Amino acid sequence: MRRSRVLVMSALIVTLLVGPAWAQQVQVEEFTLDNGMKFLLVPRTEQPNHIAAGWVAKVGSVNERPGITGISHFFEHMMFKGTTTIGTRDPSKDAEFMDKQRAIHEKILGLIWTEQYKRYKAGEIDDPWNPVNDTPELAKLRSELKNLVSIQQGTKNAERIAKLESEISNLKQATPPDAARIETLEGEKKRLDAEQKAAATIVKNEFDSVYTRLGASGMNAFTTNDLTFYFINVPSNKFELWAWMESDRLRDSVFREFYSERDVVHEERRLRTESTPTGIFEEQFDAMFWESSPYHWPVIGWTSDLNSYTREEADRYFNIYYRPNNLIGVVVGDFKPAQIKPVIQQYFGRLTPGQQPPPPVVTLEMAHNAEQRLYAECDCQPQIEVRYHTVPFNHADSFTLEMMSGVLNDRTGRLYKSMVEGKKIASSASTATTGLGGPSKYAGYFSFFGEVKGEAAPEQLEQAWYEELERLQNEPVGERELQKVKNQAAADAFRRLQSNFFLMLQVGYYEGLGDWRFINESPAKLQAVTAQDIQRVAKTYFDPKNRSVAIYTRKKGTGEESLEELFAKLDEKQQQIASLAIYRLEQFDVENLRKVMADVSADSKQVSPNVAPALRYLIRWAEKRIAELEASPGQKKE
Amino acid sequence: MRQLKTVCIIALTGSSVLLGRSVVADIPPHPDKITFQPLKFEPPDPQQYRHTLSNGVVVYMAQSKEFPLINMVFTFRGGDYLDQPDQIGLASATGAMIRRGGSASKSAQDLDEEFDFLAAQASTSAGSTQSSASLNTLKSNFEQSFTLFMDMLQNPRFQEDRLEVYKSEVIENLKQRNDDADPILSREWGAMLYGRDHFEAAEPTQASIESITVENLKSMHRRIFHPAAGHLYIAINGDFEPQSMLSRLEQALASWAPGEVAPQPPAPVATLTPGLYYVEKDIPQGKVAIGLRGIKRDDPDYFALLIANNILGGGGFTSRITNRVRSDEGLAYHASSAMIPRVWYPGEFRSEFQSKNATVALATKIILEEIARIRQEPVSEEELKIAQNSYIETFPRTFESKAGMLAVFVTDEITSRPKDYWKTYRDKIRAVTAADVQRVTQKYLVPEKMAILVVGKWEDITAGDDRANMSVFFGGKNTQLPLRDPLTLEPMN
Repeated sequence: MRRSRVLVMSALIVTLLVGPAWAQQVQVEEFTLDNGMKFLLVPRTEQPNHIAAGWVAKVGSVNERPGITGISHFFEHMMFKGTTTIGTRDPSKDAEFMDKQRAIHEKILGLIWTEQYKRYKAGEIDDPWNPVNDTPELAKLRSELKNLVSIQQGTKNAERIAKLESEISNLKQATPPDAARIETLEGEKKRLDAEQKAAATIVKNEFDSVYTRLGASGMNAFTTNDLTFYFINVPSNKFELWAWMESDRLRDSVFREFYSERDVVHEERRLRTESTPTGIFEEQFDAMFWESSPYHWPVIGWTSDLNSYTREEADRYFNIYYRPNNLIGVVVGDFKPAQIKPVIQQYFGRLTPGQQPPPPVVTLEMAHNAEQRLYAECDCQPQIEVRYHTVPFNHADSFTLEMMSGVLNDRTGRLYKSMVEGKKIASSASTATTGLGGPSKYAGYFSFFGEVKGEAAPEQLEQAWYEELERLQNEPVGERELQKVKNQAAADAFRRLQSNFFLMLQVGYYEGLGDWRFINESPAKLQAVTAQDIQRVAKTYFDPKNRSVAIYTRKKGTGEESLEELFAKLDEKQQQIASLAIYRLEQFDVENLRKVMADVSADSKQVSPNVAPALRYLIRWAEKRIAELEASPGQKKE
Repeated sequence: MRQLKTVCIIALTGSSVLLGRSVVADIPPHPDKITFQPLKFEPPDPQQYRHTLSNGVVVYMAQSKEFPLINMVFTFRGGDYLDQPDQIGLASATGAMIRRGGSASKSAQDLDEEFDFLAAQASTSAGSTQSSASLNTLKSNFEQSFTLFMDMLQNPRFQEDRLEVYKSEVIENLKQRNDDADPILSREWGAMLYGRDHFEAAEPTQASIESITVENLKSMHRRIFHPAAGHLYIAINGDFEPQSMLSRLEQALASWAPGEVAPQPPAPVATLTPGLYYVEKDIPQGKVAIGLRGIKRDDPDYFALLIANNILGGGGFTSRITNRVRSDEGLAYHASSAMIPRVWYPGEFRSEFQSKNATVALATKIILEEIARIRQEPVSEEELKIAQNSYIETFPRTFESKAGMLAVFVTDEITSRPKDYWKTYRDKIRAVTAADVQRVTQKYLVPEKMAILVVGKWEDITAGDDRANMSVFFGGKNTQLPLRDPLTLEPMN
C-alpha cells in the first residue's frame, strides 16, 4: 500500500516536471488598431464551423461614484437597444421622442431630488421615489413619460386591444357566435393596432432578432466590479456579422427605453439580491468589507442611484469608457487570422478614439485597524464567512494564496478532513480567493466559508478555521500535499482551454484585468510555489485586524418545525406516548440511543397513522439529544 | 443625443480618411445585405464512431490530439425511478456513494487521495432516468486512473463513515428547501403535474435518507451500475489510440458480471387540476409558473410546437412573452416559456417569470393574452422565419464538441431516437408552417386546462395594481397550498 503510493507519486512527478504538462501555451495573435482598440485572436480548429467572439470595455462599478452607482451595469442593458440603423424605422422621429422624454425626466428628477427629498427628510413620506408618494404634478409628469414611451414602442393601445381580444374570444365560444359583432370588434382591433404601429418608431429587440435569424447564439453580456463583457457565438461564415453589429453599436449606440429599462433592472435587483436567502446581507457585508475602495458599492447599484441616471451622465460615461482605446476584442475558433484581420480593420477601424484616456482609479482600501463582525438572521442554514484583504490579480503572492486555498479545499483537503469528517461540525467548508466575477483588478480577498451541520454553531466553525490557519502559520504543508495541488493545477491548465467560448472569456477577462498572458504564465508560477511561501503568506495576510466576519443564523419560524411546535400538534394520547418514551430514552447513552432510534425509524413506516406523528416527534427529539450528548466532552467516546 | 450623433458622424468621416473611401463604401448599410460564404454542414454519422465489445456493450469513440487528456463517460439505464416509495433518494445516494465510499482495494480516503494526486476527475451519479460514471484524466496517467476507476465502479466499498457524512450533508440540504422560493415553486409544480409519488416530483425526506443502509446501496448498485449490453453505453474522447483503448475496455469488462437491463421509466398517472394556486412566502417578488402537461419527444407535433414555443416565449428577446413582459412593460427581469417534452410520457409546457408583488397579476394577464393570441392569429412570416433560422443556423453546434457529439449518440441510442432524426432535422424545421403553429397551439396550449402557481406574499400579490389583480383568473377562485416541512414534507400550519 504505502509503497505503491510512493511509486505513483514519483512516477507522476517525473511526467509532470519533465513532460510538457504545464508548458501548453495558448497561441494568441495580438494587434492594435490605429484608434487604440486591441484585438486578441486565437485560431482553433477543434470545434469546426464555430467562432466565439466578444469584446471587453475596461469599465465596471469600480469606475463609478456615489450618485451613479450601477451605471456600468445599466449601460450593459442599454447597449442592446440598437443604433440609428438597428432598432428603429425612423431614426429622426425616434430621436424626437427621446428628446421629449429626456426633458420630462429631467423635470421629474428635479422635483424628486428637491421636493420629494425634502418631504422625506421632514418625515412626511417614507420613500421619495415611490410613485404612491407623488405630488399631483409629479404623477402627471410620470404618466406623460409613460405615455410617450408606449407610443414610441407601439404599445399605446395594447390594453384596449387585449380587452377586445378577450371579448372576441368569448363571443366565438358562444352558440351561435354573433358574427356581425365579432366582425365589428375585429375591425376595431385592426384599426387600433394599425394606429399604434404607425406612431411607433422602435423596432423592438431588432438587435437580438438580426443575430438570431442569422444563426448567432448565446448573445449576452455581464458586468463586474472591474469590467463589462459582451459576447456571442457565431457560425464560422458569419464573422462579418459580428463585426458589423458590434462596431455599429459601439459607434452609434442609441439609448432607447432609457427610462423604462430601469424597471427591468429593479426587477433584476429584486431577483438577485432581495429575494434570495442571503443576498441583502452579502451586499451589506461587501459594503462593510470594502470601506474606502470603490468596491464598496454593489455592481447593480444602490436603488436611489438607479432611479437617478440622466442622459447627460450616460453620454459622458460612454465618451470616456466606451472608446476604442479602452476596449479589447477577442475572437476564438475556426478562422484564419489573415482573413478576419481586414474585416476587423474595416469595421472597428471606424471608431474614434476618446479625447483623453479614462481617469485612474485612485482610492485604495485603507488598512483596517479592527476586526469587523456582522450578524444576520435569514431564511438560511446557519453559516459563516471570514474574509481577509489580500492582493489583486496577478500579484506575486496571488499564486501562493491560490495554492494555499488548494491545500484546504475538496474532499482530500484539510477543511473537509477536520471539520466535515473529523469534528463533524460542518456540512461544507471551503476557501476561495477572489476570482473572475468579483473584485480583482485593484484589490482582492481570501475567504473561508462554512455551513454548519446539525446543532453546531457558526462560531464553532470559526474557531476551527482559526486552528487551521494557525497550523498553516506554524508548520510547512507536506510535500505530497502540495504536490497534489500542483498536479491538479497542471491538469486544469489543459482542461480550461477546451472550449472556444470559455477560452474567449478567459483571454478577454485576463486582458481586461491587466494581461492576457496570465493564461500562459500562471501555470508555471503556481508550480513554483513552495511550502515556505505558503507559511509566509499565511502569516502576512491573516491578521485578525484584517478580517471581517459574517455570521448567519436561521430566522425563527423559517426552517423545519421546532420540537415544541411538533409536540403541540400531537393529540393528548400521542403526547402521553411521547413523554413516556422520552422519560426512558433520557437514560440512554449515544450508542444505545442510536440503536433504538434506528429501530424506531424502521418501524415508523409500518405503524398506524395515529402513532406516526408521535414517532416523528421522537425521532427529532433523539437527534437533538444525540447532538447534545456528542457536544458535551464528558460523553464523547473518541 | 445630438452631441453623441455629431461624434459619430465625425467618426465615420475620420475612418474614411484613414482607410480610403472605397473600403468604407464596402460596409453594407444593414447586416441583411452582407454576403456570407455558404456553410456546408452534414451531421456526423454515428456508425463511424460506434464499436461493439464482445459482451455486446456499445462504445462510441472520438479522437482528438489537441490536449493530452482522455475523457470517458459510462452511461447506464436506470435512476431515481427505481427508488421504492419509502426510500426516495436511494438511487442518488448510490450514485454519489460509489465515488465517495472507496473500492474493494482502497479505503474511501485512500481512493480520494490517489485520484486527487493523479489529478484525475472521477465522478459517479444517478440521474432521474439515466446514471453515469465518468473519468477525465491526463493521458500520461490514464492506466493508473482507469484501474482505480474500474475497481471503484465494479466493487464499491460504500464505507459506513462516508455514508453517515453523505446522509448528514443531504439532510442539511433538505433543511434549506424552503429558504429560496424557486425550489418551492418547482417542487409544488412537479407534484401538481406528475403527482407527488412519481419520480419527476418525488423528493427525499429525512426519514427516507436515514433509512438507507449499505445493503440498500449494494443492491441498487447491482441494478444500475453493471455492464449488460443495451444497458451500459460508453463514450470516450481525447488523446488515445482506438484499438488499444478497445482492448483495454475488453479486458476491464471481462470480469464484470452483467445484470438485467433496467426497465423503462414509468409514466405518471396524476392529472393536473386546472386553477390558481399559491404558496405563501414573504419575499418582495412573486415567482410564477403557468402551464400544463404537453407532449412526448417523438410526437409528430414536436417540431411545430417547438417553433410555436420559440415564437411565444422560448426565443429570448425576440419572443413575444419576453418582449412584452420585460422589454415593453419592465415587469420582470426574466419572463419566458419552455416546451419540455419527455421521452417516455408526455412532458410539459411552462411559462415562468418573477415580478414585484403588485405586478404579478399584470404579467400573468399578459402571458395569458399572448397564449390566446398565438392560438387565435397565425404568426407572421417574419417571426416564423426567425424561429426556424435560429434552429437551422445553430444546428452544427449540436455536434460542436467531441464530448457533446458522443453524448448525443448515446442518448439517441438509449432512447431509440429515429435513425434519420438529425439527417432530416433541418427539413422538419423548415416544413413547419404558420398554420401548423396555430393548429398545435390550439391543440395543446389550452388556457382553461392550465394551472397558475404563485409563490410569494399573497396578500400583496392578489391585490395587484390599478391595471390587473388576481381575481380575473379562474373566476377569482384560488387554492392555497401549504408550505411543507423541509424534513418530513408534511404540510405545516
